[in-house]
Order: sequence, then structure tokens, then C-alpha cells
Amino acid sequence: MENQYDKGLDFIIDKFTNSIENTLTSEVFDTEVVRLSFVDAKQIKKSNWQFNWHKELMDNTKEVYKLTTVNNPTIIQGLLSIEDKHDHIFMHLIESAKFNKGKGKAYFGVPGNLIAYACKISFDKGHEGFLAFDAKSALIKHYEETLHATHFRGLRMFIETNAALRLISKYFRT
Amino acid sequence: MGMIKEPREVDLSTKSEPWTEQELADFRKIMQGIKSKNAKRKQRMVSGNNKRQSVR
Repeated sequence: MENQYDKGLDFIIDKFTNSIENTLTSEVFDTEVVRLSFVDAKQIKKSNWQFNWHKELMDNTKEVYKLTTVNNPTIIQGLLSIEDKHDHIFMHLIESAKFNKGKGKAYFGVPGNLIAYACKISFDKGHEGFLAFDAKSALIKHYEETLHATHFRGLRMFIETNAALRLISKYFRT
Repeated sequence: MGMIKEPREVDLSTKSEPWTEQELADFRKIMQGIKSKNAKRKQRMVSGNNKRQSVR
């Protein structure tokens, strides 16, 4: 049986930016988040991703978004799958691209961008920024500190209105 | 904007498991409490602004 502590989201908030930053050159690139539909499935090569994003795209209850740089919209930096639960947004999956994982990652800022976007969607839908998700046990404290997320119970966490506003103001300058 | 220290020895992505009905119900109670506080705070701010405007 899989240990419950091996489950849960374990995205790492590496840097707060409204863009992503090249880890080697520190060059900063503006980003955009775009919703994907099933017809966009060919943009996602299965072998490049840990999760089955094609399955997410086929599920009508879920919305899938990609993060790219403005200048290079064909290269996906990270993916997000969320569901509107009518009073909050539930984050099913979040994944950085293969080249943005681990010590040798190419860019800082990918998960933070996507989470801030999910909070923005929560406001847009009238849910006051609420975003629920699971975290790996090792990262609960990390999310409390970086996202100001609230640890609910077990692996369950959520981001409430004030924390969501903080994230959005960092990522989406008006 | 500074660097946020991150744990390095952890894989980067996993998925959320579905929350149970009980978990959702408990979460919704907390959420409603926060939303209700948000509404009261908003109301106080609006009435405070209205008072300031009427004094001017």
C-alpha cells in the first residue's frame, strides 16, 4: 500500500516573480498562461511529463492551463489542472516541465506563476481566492511559508483570500 | 523579490487525491467563516469610507 505521505502535490516555490528567470543567466522572461483544450493535446508529448495530461484534457470537469514565455509560446514550462468546485477551486495537478525539475532546472518561478494564476481564477469565478490542494508532508511547512497556505489536516492544504491576494499581487502587476 | 529557500531532495510534481465528503464539509465550514469575516471587513471599510466622505 502506498504510504499516504508519498502522495500529494510537491511543487516547489523557488522564487516569486511575475515572470520566469533563467537559473544560469538570471535572464528574465515574461510569461503567459493559456487554457488548453483537447484539440491542443498534441502540444503535450506524453513522454515529457510525469502525469497523464491527455486524460486531464479529456475530462470536462477540469481546466488545463499551460505556462509559456511570451516569446516562445510553443515550449511549455509547466502545466496546471484545476476544477471549479462552485465555492472554491481544487488543484488536481501541477507539474513543471522536465527541464524545470531538480537541481539542474532551467527556470525559477514556474509553480508559483501557475498557483497565482489558479488563485486569480478563483477570484474571477467569485470564490474569493480559495484554492484547495494536497501537499507532500515534507513540503507543508514550505507552502505555509512561501504561499501563506493553511494546513487543514493530513496532506490537505488551502489558500485563503489574503494569501491569494498576496500571491496575485506578486505575479500579476496591474 | 528575494529567493525563497526550497527543499532540494524532493521530486517536483504529484497529484491531489480527492477529498472525502467529510473533509469537504469541514473545509467549507472554515471557508464560510473566512468569507463571512471578509464580507464584514468589506462592509466596515465601505461604511468608513462613506462616513469620511460625508464629513468632507
